[in-house]
Amino acid sequence: MKRLKLPPWLVLLLPAIIILSAVVLIPLVFSLYSSFTSYRLTRPDSIFNWVGLFNYEKAVTDVKFWAAFGRTVLLLAVALNLEMLLGLGLALMVSKVTSGQRLLRTMMMFPMMFSPILVGFQFKFIFNDNVGLVNNALQSLGITDQAIPWLVDGNLAMFSIIFAEVWTATSVFGILILAGLYAIPRDPLEAAKVDGCTSLQSFRYVTLPFLMPFIYIAMAIRSLDVARAYDIVQIMTNGGPARRTELLWTLIGRTGYVDARMGYANAMGYISIFLAIFFTVYFFKKLTQSRRELGMGA
Amino acid sequence: MRTFLKGASSAILATAAAVTAVVSVSSIGQAAEFDGVTIEAKLIGGQQYEALYARIPEWEAATGAKVNIISKKNHFELDKEFKSDIAAGTTDWCVGSNHSSFASQYSALYTDLGDLVSKDTVAEFVQANIKAATFDGKLVMLPRAQFDVSALYYQKDLYEDAEKAAAFEDKYGYPLAVPETWAQVKDQAIFFADPPNFYGTQYAGKDEAIVGRYYEMVVAEGGKLFNDDFSPAFNSEEGKRALQWFVDLYDAGAVPAGTTNYLWDDLGNGFASGTIGLNLDWPGWAGFFNDPSASKVAGNVGVAPAPKGSAGVRTGWSGFHGFSVTEDCENKEAAASLVEFLTNEDSQKLESAAGPLPSRTAVWDYVSEQAKGDPYRSEVLAAFKETAATAFAVPPTPLWIETTNIIYPELQAAILGDKTVDEALADAQESVDELMQEEGVY
Repeated sequence: MKRLKLPPWLVLLLPAIIILSAVVLIPLVFSLYSSFTSYRLTRPDSIFNWVGLFNYEKAVTDVKFWAAFGRTVLLLAVALNLEMLLGLGLALMVSKVTSGQRLLRTMMMFPMMFSPILVGFQFKFIFNDNVGLVNNALQSLGITDQAIPWLVDGNLAMFSIIFAEVWTATSVFGILILAGLYAIPRDPLEAAKVDGCTSLQSFRYVTLPFLMPFIYIAMAIRSLDVARAYDIVQIMTNGGPARRTELLWTLIGRTGYVDARMGYANAMGYISIFLAIFFTVYFFKKLTQSRRELGMGA
Repeated sequence: MRTFLKGASSAILATAAAVTAVVSVSSIGQAAEFDGVTIEAKLIGGQQYEALYARIPEWEAATGAKVNIISKKNHFELDKEFKSDIAAGTTDWCVGSNHSSFASQYSALYTDLGDLVSKDTVAEFVQANIKAATFDGKLVMLPRAQFDVSALYYQKDLYEDAEKAAAFEDKYGYPLAVPETWAQVKDQAIFFADPPNFYGTQYAGKDEAIVGRYYEMVVAEGGKLFNDDFSPAFNSEEGKRALQWFVDLYDAGAVPAGTTNYLWDDLGNGFASGTIGLNLDWPGWAGFFNDPSASKVAGNVGVAPAPKGSAGVRTGWSGFHGFSVTEDCENKEAAASLVEFLTNEDSQKLESAAGPLPSRTAVWDYVSEQAKGDPYRSEVLAAFKETAATAFAVPPTPLWIETTNIIYPELQAAILGDKTVDEALADAQESVDELMQEEGVY
């Protein structure tokens, strides 16, 4: 009797393949399948109730879904750009510091060390209209005598969430850009100086192009993070009031786990994934392009 | 004949022996009744619920069983966990905290306690609670001493200022007194308000909480949320009047601007901070509000029965906590014994000593008796007893929570002025109707 002999490469890869299938592939296929059923968590047998494209049709024709989609894109656009600008500023300043830089770098990373849930609770309290820190400060300083409804007003609520996002993640940009700053060769900067460039010009034409690949990597990482923004928003406003801060994942989370309509939630999830894929592909294209400009890659 | 007598006497002897055996087993052998059994439980967590759990070791000592609490969360989190458990088939834990607002969703999860608990025991509970814990003839939980209905807490000194009283009467044409109707609450809340330092009242503004408040207001106005077939019925004159009450208070600045983000803790802490005049709230807060170390209004708190709507009906959205036993529990008798223990008279006396309302008739009498000599406690009990008399539970549909998730953003939209009352209710009604049809309810 001949024993089945697998090629060595397959044997070596088998543990990884098994683990990946178990934790990624099977759940992915299962959730894709369930998006074509009327699967409800509270009725396990509904997983066999095939409804075809019904959930997808329902999602793409639902105004609330597209409103949440639009708001998520808005959050992405504003939060990413703000974080990039602030992170760039932070990194430039830290790079100029001559002593205590290590301590500063560590301090810069503090906000990243908090769990997003805690950040949510912290800002929910800070922006509370009645007992919150911001309103109390503004009222004590005599700037306003109103209780500003930070987490209720349509624009202010989005602002508060963006503020919390920016507070917690600016250092991601800061740290990556700082790494980029350290990697810049001195020669082009010195050549620019000799050629009589102002510091603004040498930043614009020498430093920034060198930093762009780092910025795009940070953008790609953070775009995935923000596109699935859930915890901070869930705690601060839970998508409300009146859906004013409803994002894709607060909507999907509620539909899936509270309303127990997992089939429909998964259909919305699959449509939403395109958003994340789009931004990732876009930033990687930009990354390749900027590397090419620097003569670093193909 | 002799044979018969002989047979009869030996039968009597045998019965007597058996009875003695049973008695002795149950008296000395109680400790071994569930020896080696481990009961896994998922219970509601929170400071106010802990005192009861501290009694569990007594039950363990008496029965020989062990209790392993594998999850402790609030009911909204437990709800998500139970749904995941049902989906994953991991329902072999035994005892779960349940709530009348959620219970109708878990019909497959929990077993009929009617088969495990004696009829006499069930008869000792307030029968309205037992009825609300029974779905399709199945008693899914035994209520603990956490019966909830809301009464009106108020700051007493608001009614002791003669100048204020005169100004109020001038403006509204009737004397200032603790409100008996929701129309009076509105007038007074607007009159007392001085934002951002003081607000006339406040209300829960999101999730099931605001829908519950709206639901009881619709009933108080003489309307209903659903027809008998569970088609939505709130887009009616009564429904519109009910929602208008919330809108008017918000527009007038009589409630905190952030009220649409508030849930129970925000409301309780808000009233305790002394910045709220009138506050419809649950019995569990009574002790906290009058505790000088926790509340700025301690000593100044009055409690009145829930006011009435224009139909002369009191608001009275009620609910209660309870304990259930899962269908997949390996030792249902032991689990039911634990549930019985956690809801027995001693347990209810212990829990209700801290303020919450009991769900056993005898314990209601006991707490009323105990409160004699404590005017505040007596006032609290009288107000809640009066409100409880006409209280009503949430509509018994497994789609209740999902329905509330559809309705609350629309209520918020009307309150914040994104939609008119008519638009908001029409949209909510249409979406609920669509859901009910999609789910094959009618």
